[in-house]
Amino acid sequence: MEWGIGESSERYSAVMSNEGEAMSLTTLMKGGEKLGSSSLLISSDDFPGRLVVEIEGTPMFAHVARVGDDWWIHLDGRIHVIRGHEPGGSQDQATNGGLSAPMPGTILEVLVKQGQRVREGQTLLVMEAMKMEHKILAPSGGEVSSVHYKEGDRVDMGSVLIEMTD
Amino acid sequence: MSPEWMQGAPKEYDSVLVANRGEIAVRVLQAVKESGLRAVAVYSEADSDSLHVEIADEAILLPGESLSENYLNAGAIIEAAKSTGSNAIHPGYGFLSERADFAREVSENGIIWIGPEAESIEIMGDKISARSRMISSGVPVIPGDEVSIPEDGAHLGPLAVAAAKVGYPLLLKASAGGGGKGMRVVREPKMLRTEYEAAAREAAAAFGDGTVYVERLLTGARHVEIQVLADSTGNCIHLNERDCSLQRRHQKVIEEAPSPAVSNSVRESMGKAAVMAAKAVNYVGAGTVEFLLSSNGEFYFLEMNTRLQVEHPVTEMITGIDLVQKQLEIAAGLEMGISQSEVPLSGHAIEARIYAEDATRGFLPAIGKLSTWITPSGPGIRVDSGVRQGDEVTVNFDPMLAKLVVHAPTRKAALRRMDAALSNFVALGVVTNIGFLRNALSHPSFISGNVTTDLLDSSDISEFSDPEPPIEALVSIAEAALRMGLDKTNTGASSNPIDEHTGHSGDPFRTLSRSYP
Repeated sequence: MEWGIGESSERYSAVMSNEGEAMSLTTLMKGGEKLGSSSLLISSDDFPGRLVVEIEGTPMFAHVARVGDDWWIHLDGRIHVIRGHEPGGSQDQATNGGLSAPMPGTILEVLVKQGQRVREGQTLLVMEAMKMEHKILAPSGGEVSSVHYKEGDRVDMGSVLIEMTD
Repeated sequence: MSPEWMQGAPKEYDSVLVANRGEIAVRVLQAVKESGLRAVAVYSEADSDSLHVEIADEAILLPGESLSENYLNAGAIIEAAKSTGSNAIHPGYGFLSERADFAREVSENGIIWIGPEAESIEIMGDKISARSRMISSGVPVIPGDEVSIPEDGAHLGPLAVAAAKVGYPLLLKASAGGGGKGMRVVREPKMLRTEYEAAAREAAAAFGDGTVYVERLLTGARHVEIQVLADSTGNCIHLNERDCSLQRRHQKVIEEAPSPAVSNSVRESMGKAAVMAAKAVNYVGAGTVEFLLSSNGEFYFLEMNTRLQVEHPVTEMITGIDLVQKQLEIAAGLEMGISQSEVPLSGHAIEARIYAEDATRGFLPAIGKLSTWITPSGPGIRVDSGVRQGDEVTVNFDPMLAKLVVHAPTRKAALRRMDAALSNFVALGVVTNIGFLRNALSHPSFISGNVTTDLLDSSDISEFSDPEPPIEALVSIAEAALRMGLDKTNTGASSNPIDEHTGHSGDPFRTLSRSYP
C-alpha cells in the first residue's frame, strides 16, 4: 500500500519485517527513493484500536481508526489522517478547474454567470451550511465556463458548483 | 413529590423538561437528576439516538425536520411538558432560551420557567432598549450612535446615514443575534450593502428575525463578562469574571477565569456595574453581563445574556458554585444562600470548545462518524460532552461537540493541564479543532495573557499551524495497522469496552496504570 499524508500528493511506503508478534520498520520509501529509517517497533495492544509504538526505544500509544481509505491516527498528542492508495491505482480525481461544495448545504447566492471573467479571490457563490455562510472564492483568475446550481438549491458535499477555465 | 431540599419552598416542582439538545441538554439533565428531580428530554428525529435522550428519565419526540417544527416549536414543547407532567422547563442556551414570548407562555401555562422574567429577557434581548436602560442606570455603554434597521432592502439609506455617523470600521449586528451569527464587520462604506444583506439573512435563518443595527467597532479590546446570580427575594451577587477574548469571527474559542487583564479594582467595579445592570431589569436567576475592556482599563456594557452561558463551567471551577443547581433553587423561590463577600475565587480555570471544524480549510464545519472518542480525565479536568463514540456528526446543528475545562492553582499550571488534556483527547473520524486549540494555547500572546478579540482574525493562520507530522512513524503505523487487521477489530462504539467505574469507554488513565508500560 502507498500512503499519503492527508491530501498531500507525495506517496510513501513502508517495508516492514515481522519480529514475533510485533512489526518493525526496515525502510521507508518515498516514491522509488529510500529514506533513512529510524528504529520503529509496532505491536498490538489489548485495547481495541490501539497499538504500542516504540520510536528509538521510547514507547507510546497510537490510536487508530479506519474510515474508508483514510486511517486516522492519534500519536503523541496529535491527530493525523493518512490515506491509503493502491499502488498503480487511478490517480486522485483531478478537479478539472471545478469548484466543489466543501460541505452539504444550501446555495444562498450565485454572484457570477457563465462566460463571466473573474479575478483571483472574487466571490463566486455564497452557500449556507450549519447555519453559517461560506463564500466560494475563485482560486485564480479566469472565465466561468459553467454554473451548475441556482439560489435555493441543496447541494451535497463534493458537488461541482462552478467550473472555470483560464 | 419534590425532593427534600425543595420541601417548603414557595414554588415546589418535581419534574423538569429540558428544551435543548447536545452538551447543554446533557449537563442540565444530569444536574436535574442529581437534584432528585425527574429529567425529561425533547428530541428531533435526527437526534433520536443522541446522548441527551439516553440519559433522560423520559424523552419526547418533536416531529418535523426543521428547527421551527422541533427545538424552536414553543407550542409542541409546552405540550410535551404537560403530557409528561413536567412542572418546570429549563431552556439551556440558544434555541428558545432568550425568547420572552416563550418564557411568558410557559408561565401562563402554569409551568415554572427556570430563567428570568419575560420582561427582563425582553429589555435585554433588544439591544437598543438594553442600551438605553443601561444608560439610565449608570452602566457605561460603548460610545457611538445607532439605529434600528427594519428587514427591508429599501431602508439602506438610513443605514448608510447611521453608519457614517458611527464611523468605520463598524459592527453590524442582528438585534436578535448571538453567538456570532448575524454579526458582520464593515471596514469601508462600499461593503455596507453586501455585509448588511449577509447579516440579515444569517439572523433570519437562525432566529426568525431579520433586524440589524450598527455599532462602533472597538479594536484591541478584550471581551470580559461577569456572571451574576439573583434570587426572587432581592439578593443579587456576581461570581467574578470570565475572559472570552480568544474568538474567531465573534465565536468564542477559549474562555478563562479569572481574566489575566482584570485587577482587583477593575473586578470590583465591573462586578458592581454587572449587578447594577441585572437589578435595572429586576433580574432573577443566572445571567451574564458582557463588557468590552479597553487597554486603559475602561469597560463598556456590551449585552446581557439572560440565560446560562456555554462557558459557565469556568466560573463553577473557580467558585465551586454549581450554577445549574442554583438555577433550580432560585426557580423554586429559594434564597441563594450566599453573600457577595462569601464568593470564592480559587485558582484558574480554562475552557476550550471542541468544534467539528477544519482549521486548515478556513474552519469549515466537518462531518462524519466519531469512530473513536476518548475524552481525557484526571484531577482538575472536566469534559461536558454532547456526543459519544460512534455518533454521527451532521450539518444539522452547531458544530460544537464538547467543552474541555481544566482547573489548576495558577494560570500557568492550568495552561499546562489544558495542553496535556488536549493531547489525550482522542477524536478520530471527524476533523476537530483539537490540534488548533493546542497551537492557539501555545501562541506567545495567549501564554502572556495578552489576547484581544481580534487576535485570531488578524493573525496569519500559519502562526497557529501544526508541527510537521512524524511521517515515518505514521506510515509505519498505518501499514502495520492494515497488516494486523486493525480495521476489522475497531468498528466503532460496540467494540470498545465500557469502563465500569466511569461509564465511559476506554478511560486512558485507568488503562495506562493497569497494562502499561
